[in-house]
Amino acid sequence: MNITVCIGSSCHLKGSRAVVEKLERLIFERGLKDEIALCGSFCMGQCQTGVSVLLDDAYFSLTPESTERFFVQAVLPKIAKAKPELVEIPQL
Amino acid sequence: MTSHNHLCADIGYMSLNHAGEQLCGDHIEIAGMDENSTVIVLADGLGSGVKASILSTLTSKIISTMLAAGLRLEDCVETIAATLPVCSSRGIAYSTFTILRLVNNERAEIIQYDNPAVILLRDGKSMELPASMQVIGGKNIYRTDVALRENDLLLAMSDGVVHAGVGGVYNFGWRREDIARYMETFWHVGFTAKTLSTILLQETNRLYDGQPGDDATVCAVRIRPRVPMNLLCGPPSIRDDNEKMMSLFFGKEGKHIICGGTTSTIAAQYLNRPLVADLAFPDPKIPPIGTIDGVDLVTEGVITINRVLEYAQNYLDDNSDYERWSTGRDGASRIARLLFEEATDINFFVGCAVNPAHQNPELPINFNLKMRLIEQLADCLMKMGKRVKTSYF
Repeated sequence: MNITVCIGSSCHLKGSRAVVEKLERLIFERGLKDEIALCGSFCMGQCQTGVSVLLDDAYFSLTPESTERFFVQAVLPKIAKAKPELVEIPQL
Repeated sequence: MTSHNHLCADIGYMSLNHAGEQLCGDHIEIAGMDENSTVIVLADGLGSGVKASILSTLTSKIISTMLAAGLRLEDCVETIAATLPVCSSRGIAYSTFTILRLVNNERAEIIQYDNPAVILLRDGKSMELPASMQVIGGKNIYRTDVALRENDLLLAMSDGVVHAGVGGVYNFGWRREDIARYMETFWHVGFTAKTLSTILLQETNRLYDGQPGDDATVCAVRIRPRVPMNLLCGPPSIRDDNEKMMSLFFGKEGKHIICGGTTSTIAAQYLNRPLVADLAFPDPKIPPIGTIDGVDLVTEGVITINRVLEYAQNYLDDNSDYERWSTGRDGASRIARLLFEEATDINFFVGCAVNPAHQNPELPINFNLKMRLIEQLADCLMKMGKRVKTSYF
């Protein structure tokens, strides 16, 4: 599974660095390094709604604050579907 | 006459003020005669502070302007003698000077009056320069004519440098031979003229124990081969011009730097290679760099260039950010090294398209400044002695 974070000027100013760091931490904490490829992308052309993030092909608009919710509500279920043994989805 | 050689002069200078003074009594003036010929004058005014500053500013300005206009040295010296205000306490008008006239960057005429003799490092070794004496207006003036070679380093300085350490670290100050030997160790490294003058003055300041007893100024001139560099920034205002802009940019000789997310996406499409963005933040405030096979450096746009401009302005001032950008792994430091240290001839390709997202008033940077940023950066680079050409699309 790929998570792509936009690191263009606009998204950078809106906090893409904090989003990247949060995702790195969440992936590490849950031991999902082998399941998720975190990568960067220059401008996705969605500057108005940044920070722009792609989960495979699906577009999400994140802020550093909403990153954890995104991870729990969108990323974990997706992994659970493919490999249920890997994840336990916490109740937020 | 234009020369066809591949050499150019990298000129850098810096001053230390006499402890407690706000003005420097030394002054450097550079005047271009034509594309390849330059007159550099280093003047040291009598005393320190305001008086000395006025004397040295007038002296260097008059000599450089007159010589650059092709007037004879005798006329310059007479003009100075007739123009300089006479010091009321000492009854004399006095400023020493060193003139370096570079002709086509292949010959240097060195004219010296009472400053420490110019040092020439050739192949890393100090080389003595034979001089002939001439009396003009009662002043003993020494002239030298030397054919320049690639990697020659000329160092002109005021006596504040050789007086460093008098009575302290050294009994008789820092002798010229010692200075030459000290600088020989840095010749091989490939530092810019500005950095070399900073290094020499830092040591001077150290010998003075941080309290310079005189104004001290160094001007370094490095004869080096020309190195072209190209920087592309911003998509063209008309989308149909993408192809044209890219083919002109990639057709240029030298390294290629691309700044901006959209711009690098267009370049990646043009080259038909993937654009890979890095996720590492060596500098937390500068967005990560990217890579495109066939492009030497890919960075984000405005934020990065804004930082490069800060570094450029600081470089021309006291160069105190040097340690940050000379080693930094972020995009801005990388651009700074390529433009300030490596390049001598820089082509800017500036696209004028407006990014709608950048019109958001909540963002802390005014993106309309992009064009202005490049203009200011180009201006700084020209002050560093580089040839700059900017094309808009």
